[in-house]
Amino acid sequence: MNLTVNGVDTTIESGPLTSLLDVLREELGITSAKAGCEQGGCGACTVLVNGASRRSCLTPVASIDGAAVTTVEGLGSPEHMSPVQQAFTHHYAAQCGFCTSGMMMAAQAYIEGGGSDDHEAIQEALGGHVCRCTGYVKIIDAVAAVARGESFDLSVTAAGTAMTNIGGMA
Amino acid sequence: MAVKTGRGFAAIEYPTGMNQNGDPSQAWIKVKPDGRIDVFAGTSDIGNGSKTIQSQIVAETIGVPYEWITYDNSNTDSSPVCTGTFASRATFVAGKAVEKAAENVRQKILEIAGKELEIDPSDLEIIDGEVIAKGAPQKKISVPDVAAAATWGYGELITGTGAQLKPYATIVEPETGKVDLPPHSAISYASCAAEVEVDDETGTVTVTRLWQCYDVGKAINPTLVEGQIEGGAVQGLGLGILENCYPYYPSVEHRGGQFGAYLVPGMVDLPQIDTLIIENPSSDGPYGAKGIGEMANNAQPPAIATAVFDAVGVWVTELPITPERVLRALQEKAAGGGAPKRDGKTVIFDSNLSVNTVGTGIAFGAAA
Ligand code: FES
Ligand code: FES
Repeated sequence: MNLTVNGVDTTIESGPLTSLLDVLREELGITSAKAGCEQGGCGACTVLVNGASRRSCLTPVASIDGAAVTTVEGLGSPEHMSPVQQAFTHHYAAQCGFCTSGMMMAAQAYIEGGGSDDHEAIQEALGGHVCRCTGYVKIIDAVAAVARGESFDLSVTAAGTAMTNIGGMA
Repeated sequence: MAVKTGRGFAAIEYPTGMNQNGDPSQAWIKVKPDGRIDVFAGTSDIGNGSKTIQSQIVAETIGVPYEWITYDNSNTDSSPVCTGTFASRATFVAGKAVEKAAENVRQKILEIAGKELEIDPSDLEIIDGEVIAKGAPQKKISVPDVAAAATWGYGELITGTGAQLKPYATIVEPETGKVDLPPHSAISYASCAAEVEVDDETGTVTVTRLWQCYDVGKAINPTLVEGQIEGGAVQGLGLGILENCYPYYPSVEHRGGQFGAYLVPGMVDLPQIDTLIIENPSSDGPYGAKGIGEMANNAQPPAIATAVFDAVGVWVTELPITPERVLRALQEKAAGGGAPKRDGKTVIFDSNLSVNTVGTGIAFGAAA
């Protein structure tokens, strides 16, 4: 079997019924997709398959032979983050980070599908993703900001309003 | 049969850090030859933001930009000892250790800068990465130049350590073992007001708004504090109406067998959350900070319970407040019972002092 993973043509050695999640994590060493529930219930394993968000834990790799798979690593690099990655950073939308890869992939699909900044629409689109830490507020704010086409100057995020109390740049 | 609205509130206090003896945190800081600063401490950042916050404390204490700080990933090999990330102690206890270490580094920088500038260190201060003579700002040397001088000129490493440890208690009555243990842990205060809708036919409780008010001593990073409060609000909502490992404990028969059986709040459960941060400084936390970690999910369950009472007139005294419990309480009330009870005891409830009675007069702030 073959997959195009983050733009790279890759031959897959795992058996046909191996989950895409296990292929990514165990065979290819791409660990951004998290093994949360492995039952389709939490969203932590979400990746894009041919541009659509998909639970990699419930996807036998044979069922997507030849497909293009995108993980967080394929969105951008630390030096060149995608708008979704920038927004999550700027809005402090991650705490422990376990849900974050899946949230960002779902957000990416939502934005690519022309999603609006309407909070209810975002809640609906990302509703299957569980986050234990953030209370969702800043995640929704981040996705809404991308939907509005906002841009973020991350060089001032660290020194911005969050740090004016202590330790920020003067 | 109707959907009824109710509001209620609850207030809590919460001690920060372990309330017994000991509970050490240690920190070590060194300055590299280019003036950039490495921090080693044992507090693991599990999403609480402690790397960010402790780096801010180091930057502020020494007087250098935040971007100059590298906080090493905490580990059991090279990090100094820290009891851990728990008990809401990462800022309050471990942050103090880091502050003390940073203060020692600051002194050492001033000492070497004093030699370079031929000025007494007590007449120098560090502002934005520059050591400046007080009252004579044209006399200055940058921290990178001081670090270079230490490395190449004086053959020294600018470094500092710090530790925070609650003193051990003194036994004052050997016969009884009674100790004299003043409460060292800063006490934080918080309150939450909840607005709910209760369907008295299905028993379903929906939390529509949570107003959250937290005294954190000092919000070292207000956005991170807000994130902890929002996260705590939704956890508290879960504890209030959803989350349960053993729904019919002590029977374990209905324990959920899989992930989805444990109901964690999802995005659809998200109420409107309004957050107010109060800074009422502690005397012994870094910059007056207290802890926000754990208390953030304590006030919502009782606030929701009082709001349910306000809505439908029944006290559900077990959590979570499930539809079944609401319906049973309504049935009991209809049958003439329904006084609040817990473990066979009647809960004293003075309706003259109740939230229900006084709540109607309270303005809860402008609607969003
Ligand atoms: S791990 Fe795939 S949905 Fe939870
Ligand atoms: S940030 Fe921890 S689960 Fe979402």
